Amino acid sequence: MAVSLEQIMKIAGLAGEIMLKNGAETYRVEDTMTHIAKACGAAKVETFVTPTGLFLTIYDSSGRLSTSMWRVRARTINLDRVAKVNELSRRLVDQRIEYQNAYSILEHIGRERTGFSLLPSMLAAGAVGGTTAILQNANTLEVLGALGAAMTVRYIAHVVSRRHGVQFTYEFLGGMTAALIGSGLDMLVPSISRDAVIIGGIMPLVPGVAITNAIRDVIAGDLLSGLSRGMEAALTATAVTMGVVIALAVHIVR
Amino acid sequence: MVGLKIAAVFIMSASIGVLYRVPRRLLFYVGMVGVLSWLVVYTTLQSGGNIILADFMGSIVIGIVSELLARMLKKPAAIFIIPGFIPLVPGGEAFSTIRFMVDGHYAEGVAMGMKTLMIGGAIAFGIFVSSTVYRLVINYSVENNTDNAEKS
Repeated sequence: MAVSLEQIMKIAGLAGEIMLKNGAETYRVEDTMTHIAKACGAAKVETFVTPTGLFLTIYDSSGRLSTSMWRVRARTINLDRVAKVNELSRRLVDQRIEYQNAYSILEHIGRERTGFSLLPSMLAAGAVGGTTAILQNANTLEVLGALGAAMTVRYIAHVVSRRHGVQFTYEFLGGMTAALIGSGLDMLVPSISRDAVIIGGIMPLVPGVAITNAIRDVIAGDLLSGLSRGMEAALTATAVTMGVVIALAVHIVR
Repeated sequence: MVGLKIAAVFIMSASIGVLYRVPRRLLFYVGMVGVLSWLVVYTTLQSGGNIILADFMGSIVIGIVSELLARMLKKPAAIFIIPGFIPLVPGGEAFSTIRFMVDGHYAEGVAMGMKTLMIGGAIAFGIFVSSTVYRLVINYSVENNTDNAEKS
């Protein structure tokens, strides 16, 4: 199976780009690109990955080399795609799949709409909010309120990402909305206190992937990526907090 | 009440899995990781442990179980870690901090904020420690037994 240097470059770069765009850890992106390139016949592979872009140098057996760079701007979270690319690289390494086949599968993974549309996502966010309220010993009405708040926050996420909002807008608006809904229900319904509703509403905004990846990047020695992801997590948390603070401040002035 | 909370934790972890597009077949495992870690936290708290210690223990369990599941099912460990630790996130403490600050009780706010940060740090370092230990053990067994390395 003779695969040219350019083809190796294309497949390894595409795999890395998909993984980075969908929230994989830095060392996993580097490992996967190296494995894929070696499985396709590269002699030596050097990679450098940061959360916003990746560099890839591949040497073939005759000593020729090629270097490319991919800039990653829009990032989402889709662990299904990460798992699929991971699985594909295992199959390539075990020689269970041909290059051409692997490349078309990879293109398909990058394009396909996986997982869930708006309504299931909203229901899942609502479930997170409601169960958070249960853990906070809330009563039934408060649980329902938290469910509604979390679903509304998720709907705002959908609208903002449709309009290509700036980063942290959605977290800020989400925190604000949750706090406003909590305060509003508190005033309208006597048996609801705002705390459980607001906590439930902001729970889906916790930057779980950024926190986890920051920790795992630092453990793996990717200090640059670890720091920037830690910063992303801290800024997200600050955006949510400030949203809640401002909404509550309005409520107190009344 | 405990039964209800266990069910809540399971649904919560699985729902976070849905939000982050975890493959559907794995949602059950994801929920179980959450329940397991929450049970560890709960028993530690019931036996008189500090909340910081409890969350540390819980996140160590998350790290170890996730790495084992990742190896068993050949999936990235992050898939199990991320939804697993969300139920431990100190949302209540964080909100109390905000409330104190907005009301102008800055001293209580800073105290509560420190508590929130400590709990968050305990969770982060629990995952840190368990992943590092797991890695050390794997490297150690690979060095001592190349057959294992071949199999993995």
